[in-house]
Amino acid sequence: MSTTQLPMQPVVDPAESPGAMTDRIAAIVLRERAYLWWWLLMIPSATLAGVMVVSILWLFYAGIGIWGIDWPVVWGFAIINYVWWIGIASGGTFISALFFLVRVEWRTSLNRLAESMTLFAAACAGIYPILHLGRPWFFYWLFPYPNTMTLWPQFRSPLFWDFCAILAYVVSSILFWYLGAIPDFATMRDTSVRRRPQLFYGVLALGFRGSGREWRNFRAAYAVLAAIMAPMVCSVHSIVGLDFAAAQTTGWHSTQFPPFFVFGAVLSGFGMVLFLALPLRRLLRLEAFITGRHLEVLARLLLVSSLCVIYAYMMDAFSTYYGAEPAEKIFFHERVTGLYAGVYWSTLLLNCVLPQLLWWRRLRLNQALVWLISSGVIVGMWLERYGIVVVSLHRPKLPSAWGNFTASIWDWALFAGTVGFFFAGLLVVVRLVPIISIFEMREILRKRQA
Amino acid sequence: MKQWRSLDEMTRDEAFVARAAQEFPALAAALAQPARRRTVLKLMAASLALAGCDPGNGAGNLVPAVVAPPDIVPALPNSYTGANLFGGYAAGIVVTHVMGRPIKVEGNPNHPASLGATSAHGQAMLLDFYDPDRAFGLSRRELPADRQDLLAALTTERARLGADHGAGLRLLTGSVTSPTLARQIDALLAQFPAARWHQWEPISRDAVRAGAVLAYGRPVAAIPRPAAADVIFAIDSDMLASAPGHLAFARALASRRNPVRTAKMSRVYAVEPTPTLVAATADHRFVAGPAELHAGFMAVAESVLQNAAPSGAPAWAAAVAADLKAAHGHALVHVGPDQPAEFHALAHAVNEALGGRGATFDLVEPIEHAPTDQAASLAALIQEMAAGQVDALVILGGNPGFSAPGFAEALGRVRFSLSLAPMPDETSERATWSVPETHVFETWSDARAYDGTITIIQPQALPLHGGMSAHEVLALLGAEAQTGPRDIVRATWQDHADFDGFWHDALANGVAAGSASPPAQVALRPEAARLAPPTPPSQPINLLFRPDPNLWDGRYANNPWLQELPRPLTKLVWDNPLLISPVSAAREKLVNGDVVRITVGTAWLEAPVWIVPGQAAECAVGLLGYGRRVVGTVGTGTGFDFFPLRGGTAPPRIEKTGRHVALASTDHHNPLDAGPRDIVRHGTLAAFTRDPRFLQEEPKVETMYHGQPQLSAQAWGMSIDLNSCIGCNACVLACMAENNVPVVGKAQVLHEREMHWLRIDRYYEGTPEAPDSFFQPMLCMHCEEAPCEVVCPVAATVHDQEGLNVMVYNRCVGTRFCSNNCPYKVRRFNYFAFSHEEHRPPIARNPDVTVRARGVMEKCTFCLQRIAEARIAADRENRPIRDGEVVTACQAACPTRAFSFGNINDAGAEVAKRKQSPLDYAVLAEAATHPRVSYEARIRNANPDLAQNA
Repeated sequence: MSTTQLPMQPVVDPAESPGAMTDRIAAIVLRERAYLWWWLLMIPSATLAGVMVVSILWLFYAGIGIWGIDWPVVWGFAIINYVWWIGIASGGTFISALFFLVRVEWRTSLNRLAESMTLFAAACAGIYPILHLGRPWFFYWLFPYPNTMTLWPQFRSPLFWDFCAILAYVVSSILFWYLGAIPDFATMRDTSVRRRPQLFYGVLALGFRGSGREWRNFRAAYAVLAAIMAPMVCSVHSIVGLDFAAAQTTGWHSTQFPPFFVFGAVLSGFGMVLFLALPLRRLLRLEAFITGRHLEVLARLLLVSSLCVIYAYMMDAFSTYYGAEPAEKIFFHERVTGLYAGVYWSTLLLNCVLPQLLWWRRLRLNQALVWLISSGVIVGMWLERYGIVVVSLHRPKLPSAWGNFTASIWDWALFAGTVGFFFAGLLVVVRLVPIISIFEMREILRKRQA
Repeated sequence: MKQWRSLDEMTRDEAFVARAAQEFPALAAALAQPARRRTVLKLMAASLALAGCDPGNGAGNLVPAVVAPPDIVPALPNSYTGANLFGGYAAGIVVTHVMGRPIKVEGNPNHPASLGATSAHGQAMLLDFYDPDRAFGLSRRELPADRQDLLAALTTERARLGADHGAGLRLLTGSVTSPTLARQIDALLAQFPAARWHQWEPISRDAVRAGAVLAYGRPVAAIPRPAAADVIFAIDSDMLASAPGHLAFARALASRRNPVRTAKMSRVYAVEPTPTLVAATADHRFVAGPAELHAGFMAVAESVLQNAAPSGAPAWAAAVAADLKAAHGHALVHVGPDQPAEFHALAHAVNEALGGRGATFDLVEPIEHAPTDQAASLAALIQEMAAGQVDALVILGGNPGFSAPGFAEALGRVRFSLSLAPMPDETSERATWSVPETHVFETWSDARAYDGTITIIQPQALPLHGGMSAHEVLALLGAEAQTGPRDIVRATWQDHADFDGFWHDALANGVAAGSASPPAQVALRPEAARLAPPTPPSQPINLLFRPDPNLWDGRYANNPWLQELPRPLTKLVWDNPLLISPVSAAREKLVNGDVVRITVGTAWLEAPVWIVPGQAAECAVGLLGYGRRVVGTVGTGTGFDFFPLRGGTAPPRIEKTGRHVALASTDHHNPLDAGPRDIVRHGTLAAFTRDPRFLQEEPKVETMYHGQPQLSAQAWGMSIDLNSCIGCNACVLACMAENNVPVVGKAQVLHEREMHWLRIDRYYEGTPEAPDSFFQPMLCMHCEEAPCEVVCPVAATVHDQEGLNVMVYNRCVGTRFCSNNCPYKVRRFNYFAFSHEEHRPPIARNPDVTVRARGVMEKCTFCLQRIAEARIAADRENRPIRDGEVVTACQAACPTRAFSFGNINDAGAEVAKRKQSPLDYAVLAEAATHPRVSYEARIRNANPDLAQNA
């Protein structure tokens, strides 16, 4: 039997009932003691989060000279990691907002997980632009607030657009996540039998009792937020792309950057959702809700976004040689053969070549392989940003200003710290918040039963 | 142990009271009286009053300015003349003071060796003056002593030496041009007839002196006049880098290098084993090891002197000889001090034969007092010291303990030695007496320029840390009538008719009028034309020694500005690797930073290598002056000491060690990867003559914005003549001094974080074995459409109404986007609080320029503070700012006047005229930034017969 004839798996195990489902998902959170694996993951994550705190404190004390950035590579890990994290964050928004608007059923099993991922990825992304500053304590000068100096920010600067876009995105992501979880908090409040969880979830539920009026208002608000979030995920990454494209810098000055950055963001976003969903469904025994169908859909999305990224890479090379700028050609030549050539070729391998395996359905259904490919994509997208930031900057137009970049121990410490913070945050969410949206899952099950 | 309950009780101690009574009878009387409250209070009041009468440090009289001194207006600068002494020769300077503290050195336009320009060393003397590591007081056998002890010791010595007419007394100085020092030395030698005076400069000009004697039979000084020369043949020449008068020579040479402004462009040939500044500007450069150089120059000399056809000589020799002969009366041959004396004599003969005397060179009476063979002089001294024949040795300046192998050991056999040094060094630590030497800013003296012109040097400040000058030491040793430095110097000139007028004018102008050396009426000895130095031995490796261009003989090792000043061609800082040729690097498979072991006889040294394009294949060059062992905090642990290898005669060997170290260069990439392309435009004179605008191919810029930027009435701009730039670095240091640009240290330069606002980019074209090199000063272009301005989210960098791109440090949050978007990469970021960690006291800074904090971007301002000063002056007189009224620091220092600055919207302004030059172009014009700085393209006057080299 060829793989194409394999039956498509359902989005939820047909044996599930709403009540059993609610109990099972609520039980994950209401356990008195956390899973052993939870602790095993939490301890290193929290340690790394501690490293992040130490790195930030030392950064504030000693200055950004502790990083590897230099002249001409004045941007380094802070920007690479910022773009990387914000790209990862896109996955959650894409799944929960865009696929909500187009009424895709399979989204329901994934949206809480994906949005939680967005939340912490956006948080990691959000701190970097501030830490990146030479004088971070003045970051609020980017904000157009009335002040005694009667000074406005430079409205023409992409960094100002970026500041606004990130602020809006982080705030909306938090609101979207929280609003979408309110009915579940209410469920938890009502399901828990002990006083403290009742209080905790009761406060979070904001008095949601499931009345018809509440549901009507909730759905309207959620739909409006989703309608805002879906285009925003595109605009945020376009503006991140403009941070580069609006500059004259070699390797950056390209009109394709805004869509290119959206493609890249979505690729890494889907990669991260797969990276998290695959082990979590096993650890939390959620195979009934996150089925092979989900994995296959995600794998297809990964493949599609990989194809988009391939297109962008091709255009990148094409426009370099189509244009007449010698500095661009020198830079591109350096990029594919020079000191950092490994970065470029690894990017191509991880983001373009390996995802092509997903054309085959049998391979798409191989969870270990899909997990490896999605990990590869996450790494590959980091390398892509390394290429954009470091490799572009190290070959400016004037040869006398050519230089190199080597990351310092504090670059890596802060990066590892944010990774730890991200996982620690997710683990806290897994422990405290239903990782599958109960109320939406209930609707699906009801529909199926009906 | 005595027990007591109160101080009062303690003071009744019998022994103490007895001792006090002996020393302070009045105190004893007071203590003897019963203590009364009123008496105690009276005594306390009297003590406090007396405490306020601190007599100071005794070095001078401090008079409180109850009546403000005339001409000193608080916060406004004052200027006083002085001189920078280099190898004994003076270059006139004008020191700018603010509230009595020197903050900037400028050249003295009246002075023939300065003509208003300064060298990098002239700029850097400010930091030597303020160096916190300078010696604070006298020491005797490394223990603190005071002046009285020294006076007593010198009195004893004088008596002792006088007994046998000073037979054991030796005096060691550098080259002496100071008439006062010469007078004192002569007086001392008259007082102690058996004493002897030795002269020694570690960077020798013996060959120059000996060559003149060989050629003319007696010491004379030859002064090249490159402005009059149509053809110049420079043989390993230091004419533009360090020869006495190099600033003037550079000005003269540059005056004939831009075909737009000179009627006839000169043609410069250079031949040398390792690149010099002359070669970097030359039209033809021939890389030649000692053997080829010997053969080539001998062939040229024979061709000129005997009209013989060169045979067996390098190909270039015939063309050079023909060109020299064709330019009879307008040709000049110049030989560097590292070439043998016979070459110098031959060059004199050739120059005479070419009819250059009085035109392309002048002969004057020697400038130095009693010129001598210094190497022999020092060798004799060391021999006598080692033999125990030297009883007392007085070392006035210099550091032979470091630079002369064997001296330090021999010094141990001298009973009484005195070293006069600005800070503890390898000599002073071995000397009996170490006396801190006053900086030239702190004492009276006099010195002569390359042409003999005399400058009376006046102090710019009271000595910061006490100290003595050579004049004072000699006066004390010889028990002269005057002991104050001012009186000593005045005594030299006392006989001058109208002394007061002379003294006043000399100090006000910085030169004594009409004091240049008279022409020497000597005839060339005919045998000079037949001299030939021995053929250099043929050996696989020739180890050559050159002074480090910045540290010189090591005396500037504690100067952070000079340490971090990129060497003109290698762009190295803080280090002196062995310079090797690309050929030997390829043969030995060496890369920059590989450590090698260099052995010369029994002496050896392990040092990294650096590959220098254009260095002769069989030559390796050790730069002297690094590797100081006893030096201040800045120089400690920097570089490698090549002096011990210098004396060796055995063939040198170089072996790989397999180790590798990081070397700091501000050129962070392989220099041959990137040629000058369109960035340094260049072409030949022939092409220029056909069409002067031949380099004016502006790239077509497709743009949606067709409006050209409008110039305001006052529009600051700059034009830089690449034909003039010799890469001497004076502008780079002038900028650092003027704008409080911090030094960051070797580790941070390795991290590519140097802060120079103005840098000199160096590009190569051609093969690594014999490339052409190009210099290009690069600073903020003050673009009309500045890309940095639009990307700053907080508008910290903005345009002002006069077209300046200004940086508002207080507003900067440090996003560094401006640096990314700057096509010229002239913006520098304070990754750390660099200015906070500088090795200089805050008072050494320019008070008119903000000191930048950690986390902000900075860059060239076109010396905004100087513009403001001129604007204030113009506003007070209700007139526009005149052309030439604002001179930027780089422009002021430049010896060749490569920079021109002013209002580009004023058709009469020099800068506007220069921008009309057919050679004018903008760097990276395709970026459509409309820079306010433009360059004049480099034109080379290639010899058609040597076209393959053009």
